[in-house]
Amino acid sequence: MSFPGAVPTARSRAMVRETRHLLFTVTPGAFWIFTFLVLPSAYLMGVAFMTNGPYGLPQMPLSLDSFERLAGVGFLGWSPGNLYTLLRSLWQTLVSTVLVVIIAYPVAYYITTCREKWRPILLLLVVVPSWTNQVIRAFGWMNLLAPGTPLSNLAESLGLVAPNMGLYPSNFAVTLGLVYNFLPFMVLPLYAAFEKLDTAQVQAAQDLYASPVRAFWHAVFPQTLPGLLAGTVLVAIPAFGMYVIPELLGGGKGMMLGNLVANQFSGSSNWPLGAAGAILMLIATFIGLFAMRRIGKRLGGGEEVVI
Amino acid sequence: MRKRTLARGLAGIWWGTLFFLYIPLFVIVLFSFNSANSTAIFESFSLAWYRRLFDNEQIIDAFGNSLVLAVSSSIIALVIGCLIGYGMYRHRHRKLGWLIALIYLPIVLPDIVFGISEMAFFVQIHDWTGLLKPGLGTMIIAHVTFQIPFVALIVYSRFVGLDPTLFEAAKDLYASPLKRVVHFMVPTIKPALISAFFLSFTLSIDDFVISFFTAGPESATLPIYIWSAIKKGVTPEINAIATLMISAVAIAAIFSMLFNRQGRR
Repeated sequence: MSFPGAVPTARSRAMVRETRHLLFTVTPGAFWIFTFLVLPSAYLMGVAFMTNGPYGLPQMPLSLDSFERLAGVGFLGWSPGNLYTLLRSLWQTLVSTVLVVIIAYPVAYYITTCREKWRPILLLLVVVPSWTNQVIRAFGWMNLLAPGTPLSNLAESLGLVAPNMGLYPSNFAVTLGLVYNFLPFMVLPLYAAFEKLDTAQVQAAQDLYASPVRAFWHAVFPQTLPGLLAGTVLVAIPAFGMYVIPELLGGGKGMMLGNLVANQFSGSSNWPLGAAGAILMLIATFIGLFAMRRIGKRLGGGEEVVI
Repeated sequence: MRKRTLARGLAGIWWGTLFFLYIPLFVIVLFSFNSANSTAIFESFSLAWYRRLFDNEQIIDAFGNSLVLAVSSSIIALVIGCLIGYGMYRHRHRKLGWLIALIYLPIVLPDIVFGISEMAFFVQIHDWTGLLKPGLGTMIIAHVTFQIPFVALIVYSRFVGLDPTLFEAAKDLYASPLKRVVHFMVPTIKPALISAFFLSFTLSIDDFVISFFTAGPESATLPIYIWSAIKKGVTPEINAIATLMISAVAIAAIFSMLFNRQGRR
């Protein structure tokens, strides 16, 4: 209870102290992230609306040039190059996410069928390769897929690639690299979902003479869906913005949106165009996050899908 | 009968996946001991590439940069992240949604957008004021930025897991704020501090994209050195550095396995 016009009480003084405490603890971190992340991002957003100057640096006046360039409108009329890059990013993300799910699902289930004391070690075995730097892992695949390696020779003798071409650089190599890179991010949440699986439901389905497929679809799959969604967020969003793998394994033809953006900032390219690409990437990311949250909430497993 | 086929199929997929996960690393390790300058044909065993490695000053410098960057950014992030994590806990009854959104931002931002916006910002500020010249300093700033959220969330969840009466007890016994920090807070959240430090350190050592865009000409880290060596033309020397880095990871994995075992006893 407080009365209007009361003298400063111990309580109000305590509140002041609390606020000071909050400011003292929270300000340094909030200030840091604001200055070194929010401001730079805002600056980048601004750059997208400027004109491309000499050396690729942004300059006034404001314009929508970079968005037109991004959509493919240039001096020579419309060219679909950037559109292809965007479509390739979406396609690579979709294909690699689906492949990751197909591999991770049985792997996560297999781990839950093992003895309890082995499970953490099996999980660790899946995760450990991803502790090595992603540049090194991509380099490992370059070694494996280059012309003259057993894998490339096999693909050649099967007529899958032209002679002396090797399996890399190619879109195939990028897909492989993405699947390799993101597999652990799907296995972990799926494993968590499988571990909590209510087996009574599966038993009930079997008692009611459901076929294995139906038992899986109605009793197992819905229970693992939150894990699957969490995994999809962890795989699809970073895959869409991937830079290293397409750059090393894709060559000029395997470029994705991340490379398009990055290339505009190296050498004397076009900062405003790169910034416009970054905005596109951010929009896609937030649409993806938002959609997953919505689906997750509708399923009732809301908390697990929150990153 | 059908069950057994399923179990066999699952085991098959498991072993296939393990093979898939380890084969690129195995190839790197194998060819680091190759006497020939080839990554396709293994000639004979040799340590020549390792000898070349230890004579290469650029690599030693890059390794030093990686370490300095990881240690200094982790320490700064630990201090700032700890404060914010504790603040979030102590004042969690208030509406701190804006703070939580701010904290999650570095995690959800695609790292390419993160790296490029830092780079563009640093270049612009350098242009205007002469401060923030691209180099180790700007890299430390960028790394601290992506480490703060992890430290804050780890510390926060440790505090949430504590018995709230502990805080009351420390206060009731007339401990001064400083004494409370030194004799109560730090010892009780020590496990969280240690794991936050190691996570920050690992994130920093492992990062390539953000470092790549915020680095200056003389502040290459190991991953950046490897990247430019790959771009210039593949040599087995990279296999040798990569093998050393893979060994470090393998040792860390063995330690965490032992730690896991002990934890469950």
